[in-house]
Amino acid sequence: MAQVKSAPKTYDVIIVGSGAGGGVAAHVLSLAGAKICMLEAGEWFDCTKDSKMFGWPYQVPHRGAGTQYRPWGAFDATTVGGWEVPGEPYTTVPGSEFMWWRARMLGGRTNHYGRISLRMGPYDFKPYSRDGKGFDWPISYDDLAPYYDKAEELIGVFGSQEGLENTPDGKFQPPPAPRGYEKLIKSASDRLRIPCVPSRLAILTRPLNGRPACHYCAQCGRSCSANANFNSPGVHIKPALTTGNLEVRTGAMARAVMVGPDGNATGVSYVDKKTRTEMEVRGKIVVLAASCCETARIMLNSKSNLFPNGIANSTGLVGKYVMDTVGSAVSGFLPILQDLPPQNEDGVGGMHLYMPWWLYKEQAANKMPFARGYHIELGGGRGMPGAGALGGYPTRFLDGGYGVELKQNLRKLYGCEVHFAGRGEMIPNEDSYCEIDPNVVDQWGIPVLRFHFKWSQDEILQAKHMQETFQQLIEAMGGVVTSKAGPDKNWGIARGGEIIHEVGATKMGSDPKTSVLNQYCQAWDVKNLFITDAAPFVSNADKNPTLSITALGWRTSDYIADQVKKLNVKV
Amino acid sequence: MADKNQADNAGVSRRDMFQILGAAPVAAAAVGAHSSHMHMEPTEAAPKGPYKRQTFDDHQWETVTVLSDLIIPADERSVSASKAGVPEFIDDWIAFRTQEDGNMNLRAEIFGGLMWLDRESQQLFGKNFARASEEQQKQLLDRVAYPLKAAKDDSPWVAFFTQFRSLTVGGFFSSKAGVADLPYLGNRAVAEWKGCDPKVWAIIEERMKNGYKGVLEAKPWTA
Repeated sequence: MAQVKSAPKTYDVIIVGSGAGGGVAAHVLSLAGAKICMLEAGEWFDCTKDSKMFGWPYQVPHRGAGTQYRPWGAFDATTVGGWEVPGEPYTTVPGSEFMWWRARMLGGRTNHYGRISLRMGPYDFKPYSRDGKGFDWPISYDDLAPYYDKAEELIGVFGSQEGLENTPDGKFQPPPAPRGYEKLIKSASDRLRIPCVPSRLAILTRPLNGRPACHYCAQCGRSCSANANFNSPGVHIKPALTTGNLEVRTGAMARAVMVGPDGNATGVSYVDKKTRTEMEVRGKIVVLAASCCETARIMLNSKSNLFPNGIANSTGLVGKYVMDTVGSAVSGFLPILQDLPPQNEDGVGGMHLYMPWWLYKEQAANKMPFARGYHIELGGGRGMPGAGALGGYPTRFLDGGYGVELKQNLRKLYGCEVHFAGRGEMIPNEDSYCEIDPNVVDQWGIPVLRFHFKWSQDEILQAKHMQETFQQLIEAMGGVVTSKAGPDKNWGIARGGEIIHEVGATKMGSDPKTSVLNQYCQAWDVKNLFITDAAPFVSNADKNPTLSITALGWRTSDYIADQVKKLNVKV
Repeated sequence: MADKNQADNAGVSRRDMFQILGAAPVAAAAVGAHSSHMHMEPTEAAPKGPYKRQTFDDHQWETVTVLSDLIIPADERSVSASKAGVPEFIDDWIAFRTQEDGNMNLRAEIFGGLMWLDRESQQLFGKNFARASEEQQKQLLDRVAYPLKAAKDDSPWVAFFTQFRSLTVGGFFSSKAGVADLPYLGNRAVAEWKGCDPKVWAIIEERMKNGYKGVLEAKPWTA
């Protein structure tokens, strides 16, 4: 029988999760002198030792192709994680599709993510005031701007000063020069009057704080053995460990927040995965950063006499208003790029150019059929050939064939593909939420989440607009559209959770009756409980969430340190 | 991906986009209601020693070797498919997809197509496909290698050949020999990133103005 064991020490702060939100809290609070215990459900990960950098697909089984439990293949940084985690199920109600990505490893999703780092703009904090949909944030862009500065200066983001509407510039390193196909796309988007500017990615183009600049091998998703891209273990946790104030417990699956008779949090119960033992760690402040839905799950599972519906859930809003990003993609083939002199088109791990949302004026004039906007991500070129490289070309671009002629034609067509993906804002709705499934538990004996998810017409019409725009771009380059989606497939809109930008679930606000957290991401009901992942998000602008998680988590951590000093929260 | 059996697919999923946009490679995942199902654990051992066949018997292996070399023969730039390890790739890929997808559909399509090659070859030439002359082999391939020209009755074998060719091409160009053939010049440290080579960009600009006729036609850009 597993016994409940209690470690005697009481920490100043317990942080659940080690990704962008947990990492920044550990970084800021350990430097402020707090004694911290961090719980991470996965194992240790050190990109300088564990990265599969420079490996070749032909050196590994199945050319490194993805599997059910390694969806992005053998080289991906996510050693344990995916939309399915063995022994850790989740459920969806009939009629709802939702995919829940979890990365069970130190640093969570920051190890492999796309590193796209876009500030939310002034409009993005007040969406309800602008169009009457969703909710306003309790803070404005000006409240978060100084923390965006700090975040960018710490993690390192390249970009350019553009002065575009609702697309705030930042503290950028110089951007890398565009690849050939990217220059071509820019020529086409110029003609269509869509702005195409240097992208903004958390990848170093100049050395920073002892981290070297990128060496341009394009494989950021494998994690970087040089630590030249942002990842929580290499950028947040390593420096935090050197303070001597941070202890990290890996293989620690958080189950519930414990509560004392005064209603304050006293610590966290977790399962030590190796020994399958129930453990407790005591702390004066609890910071949840387990990822949006996992944080909601922990809170809903934290039932006590004082909190029968889960901790800090007097409103019943924990788990509500889960949002993902609207995604839709179109691919094309550009004959203009065939048979060019070969060149290395790797660059950084991601696009060098992107297209921010550009139709604010049309929207303000009520000329758009949907609310909110999207940005365009692009890809293509002479990428690393993996399993299936060029495999479909004979019938997609040629009349079939075989033999020497086929071989020669195929190599001339390499590098002609181009891909556009829209990433757009989802408006929170009543039909998209997570709750505890009353009948299902995971292998650690923890009740699992059940998801409800629905897109509204705003999102579906946005996907339609993406499809039409991307097809126009490909046609403007004299290309052939090779994959597209029509109304029968809801314009190719991704399934909920597929874009892996879940935010919401414990919304912040200025009224304790209609929000879970105050503007400092402090639970209204439990003064020493804070959240620094994407759960506090009130909306989900088209700006990928990680940079905003970092900035908001930093602001919350500063507030925690400040409150401790003022003795408003006892430590 | 709509069709997980195919090694290459025109549809672009989130995972494809990640690969394309620079983060990582492709696969397929069952979700939602299936998420509680346990399949295999994520174990990936690097290949050691000589390849051990998992799918094809000796006769199939001989046919697969001959067929893949007919699709990708050696030329002045690189070796043939079999020299690049394509039969091993296909043998492994079928076993892999059979386990991942939980069905034998791809295996059946390939096995069935190989049966047909022998059946037709026996009927027409009195010997198995692998032992027929190259001219005889090509006579058969010509029936199935050009989907738009193929006879309706041959459509299952056109589908087989399209699948097999896709595996051969994909296996070849992702092999060490294929990567060098293209060539893909990356996966290395670059001291200074300079972006698109100005000489290459000049060619692209020229084509924007005047068009280009290569394997495919690129029309000049208008206004």
